[in-house]
Amino acid sequence: MSEVRLQVRNITKHFGINRALNNVSFDINKGEVHALIGENGSGKSTMTNMLTGIYPMESGTFTLDGEDIHPKNQVDANNRGVSIIVQELGTLSGLTVAENIFLGHEERFITYGFRNTPAMNAEANRLLKEYGFDFIKADDLVDNYNFEERKLIEIVKATYFNPKIVVIDETTTALSQEGREELYKHMNRIREQGNTVIFISHDLPEILAKSDTITILRDGEYIDTVKSKDVTEDDLKKLMVGREVTGDYYRSDYGEKVSDEVVLSVKNVTVPGLISNVSFDLHKGEILGFGGLSESGMHEIGKAIFGASFDREGSVVLADGTQINDIPTAISHSIAYTSKDRDNESVVLNQSIRDNIAMPSLDELSNNAGILNWGKIKKFAVDYAKEMSVKMVNTDQFVSELSGGNKQKVVLARWIGKGSDIVVLDSPTRGIDIKVKQDIYQLMDRMRKQGKSIIMISEELMELIGMCDRIIIMKDGALKGELPRSRELNENSLISMMV
Amino acid sequence: MSDTLGNKDQNNNKKDLEQKKLRRMRMIRSLLPIVGLVLVFFLFNFLTDGKMMHKLPLAMSQVYVIMIASMGVFFIMTMGGLDFSQGSILGLSAIVVCSLSQYSVPLAIIGGILTGAAIGAINGYFYVNRKIKSFIVTICTMFLFRGLIKYLTTEALVAGSFELIELDSTALKVGCTAAVVAVGFVFFCFTKFGTYLKAIGAGEKAAKFSGIRTDRIKFLVYVLSGAITGFAAFILSIKNGSVTSSGGNQLETQILIALVLGGMPISGGAMARFGNFIVGSLLFVVLNSGLNMIGFSIPMMQLIEGIVFLIFVAIFADRKAIHVIK
Repeated sequence: MSEVRLQVRNITKHFGINRALNNVSFDINKGEVHALIGENGSGKSTMTNMLTGIYPMESGTFTLDGEDIHPKNQVDANNRGVSIIVQELGTLSGLTVAENIFLGHEERFITYGFRNTPAMNAEANRLLKEYGFDFIKADDLVDNYNFEERKLIEIVKATYFNPKIVVIDETTTALSQEGREELYKHMNRIREQGNTVIFISHDLPEILAKSDTITILRDGEYIDTVKSKDVTEDDLKKLMVGREVTGDYYRSDYGEKVSDEVVLSVKNVTVPGLISNVSFDLHKGEILGFGGLSESGMHEIGKAIFGASFDREGSVVLADGTQINDIPTAISHSIAYTSKDRDNESVVLNQSIRDNIAMPSLDELSNNAGILNWGKIKKFAVDYAKEMSVKMVNTDQFVSELSGGNKQKVVLARWIGKGSDIVVLDSPTRGIDIKVKQDIYQLMDRMRKQGKSIIMISEELMELIGMCDRIIIMKDGALKGELPRSRELNENSLISMMV
Repeated sequence: MSDTLGNKDQNNNKKDLEQKKLRRMRMIRSLLPIVGLVLVFFLFNFLTDGKMMHKLPLAMSQVYVIMIASMGVFFIMTMGGLDFSQGSILGLSAIVVCSLSQYSVPLAIIGGILTGAAIGAINGYFYVNRKIKSFIVTICTMFLFRGLIKYLTTEALVAGSFELIELDSTALKVGCTAAVVAVGFVFFCFTKFGTYLKAIGAGEKAAKFSGIRTDRIKFLVYVLSGAITGFAAFILSIKNGSVTSSGGNQLETQILIALVLGGMPISGGAMARFGNFIVGSLLFVVLNSGLNMIGFSIPMMQLIEGIVFLIFVAIFADRKAIHVIK
């Protein structure tokens, strides 16, 4: 039995009225990758954010190598040997790579109050080289690097001082396959040095493949700690949801013929710097997938179809010849779009569920003189929120109070209410738990059978393979290749086209 | 298993209770301005031995202009913008109203509205098309048009025609104010534009992705707000009969104070209520005339109003959304 590194004891935390963690206790050992899993809102991130000083602690103790720690902030946590790589961008714009790496720890380069910048840059360059990231230069602004490269910088920042515990919080959802591989490599290295990785992810196959031990949380309660080699994906699902997950996860049919009827044609679409000369057709009742690295331009495809791209060239034409050049035209011609950036582009956070659901349909919910019928609006919102089984108090509740999965349900309820026939879903299940994921897949399958056409843009290769009639792979802003639906498809066949 | 479920129920009950508490807090917050209005009114009546009640019509004569003009700014603030050029819009429009009243009163009204709309369009153009923050744009236009007002009134004040001054009656002023507010009420609460304005204030990008033509609406709201203040200039002109270089001076601050006193969230969004500017302008005028009647000097009045303003901002500012002021 290996030695205990961190004892988590009786940790409880409230956010205003919500209890995020309730009396959670478990142990984390030295030299292991310890995964923390649970549905959204189960308290995983809350736990690690307290451990790394991002949130203040409330009650309970963290005992690291026999010593109680109460990190006041991230720098304090670093000094105690705990660091974190966060889900979203964790580097600060406007600072150089070296300044980011040594943020909060500049004192080692300071003499008589002056910072020795050349020494700091040299040290940063040495570290970058050691990690194999030679192409990143210490004195460049981080702004010169893309999302993936900035994540690599964060890996250096979080691990160069050999911390005892490194928390990796859902970092992989935002990374391409290539970036993930890089991250796995460093997770292994940390483990081999006898240190500990706390790994948070929604991707169960990834969890099973990369971690040694798995702790499951549900609704802020500790459920169990298991060895990865002793469990299957289904066991984990059951533990996370608290009951058997039944039915098909993805759609199960193969070899169904897709209609020849074209509902939307994209012709020679170019968005400067993002996508170039993209052309394809979308058929009735088809689920068309787009895969690629996150920088491949695939996310811009959705915006281009929805008329939301800046400076777009080329044309997006419906079957009846209508050109789609702006969002209102797209919506009035039955096109729906859910963005990858859910909180900024899909829902208005500080507005009621009712207004969010009804917003695109207000014209249909008012009389000829343009006077709104509030009774109808309320019924509309309640009906579609119920159809999507949004977990809420009532439709007056603000969307900001909902979990990620329920926010996505509100967005989908809006477009189902609008009756859109062409639905563009960008990363529809990003950061969403299994139960809601399954709901979304089933909804997509129903919509397909109703003759609606869906474009699914996703970084999760498994869901593309599981759901799509055709998968288009993108690379460097251009279409790289197309794969038809088949049982034989696997992640490797997609990855080989992506990189 | 059943045990954890029981636990969950308990949690949910607790959650419901807390939610109710939260909602009660929200209600108290929304009632505060009305309670404040009633309290301040009785307080001043008491302090002035009922003098205030007697002078009510006089006090109310200040309300019309502020209430009408603050409705336009209410729309702007709901969508997360600000407007500091209201005083200059009022002054310049009043000059146009008085000058044109020499020819015909209807022409004067139209002229005033168009002048206000034109300045609103300038604000809107620089804000929307040139993408400059609204408070910077409107501070610029405030100075620009204040300069123009001073230039136009250097020789002599601009006087309105006899017909214009003859119109001055409480019935007309009350009627006009009520009509403007009623139209605004229907516009804001019973057409999609109210929902759109709130959505833009709460999250412009998401509003755009829901199919709202955000740029067009933002521009039009500035034009609308200018036009409304242009109409308020007509009321001001029949009341005063002439315009001096200080015409409309400080209206923008008065409006801002009135809106905040009325419970308007500074950053706009879904918490904006149509009653905010009505209660707010009444509260502002009662406070102002009350302090005046008690016998405070103007500097002292400003000091007290400043403190009240600060307290209300502290209560109503949504700190999470404050950075979105455009």
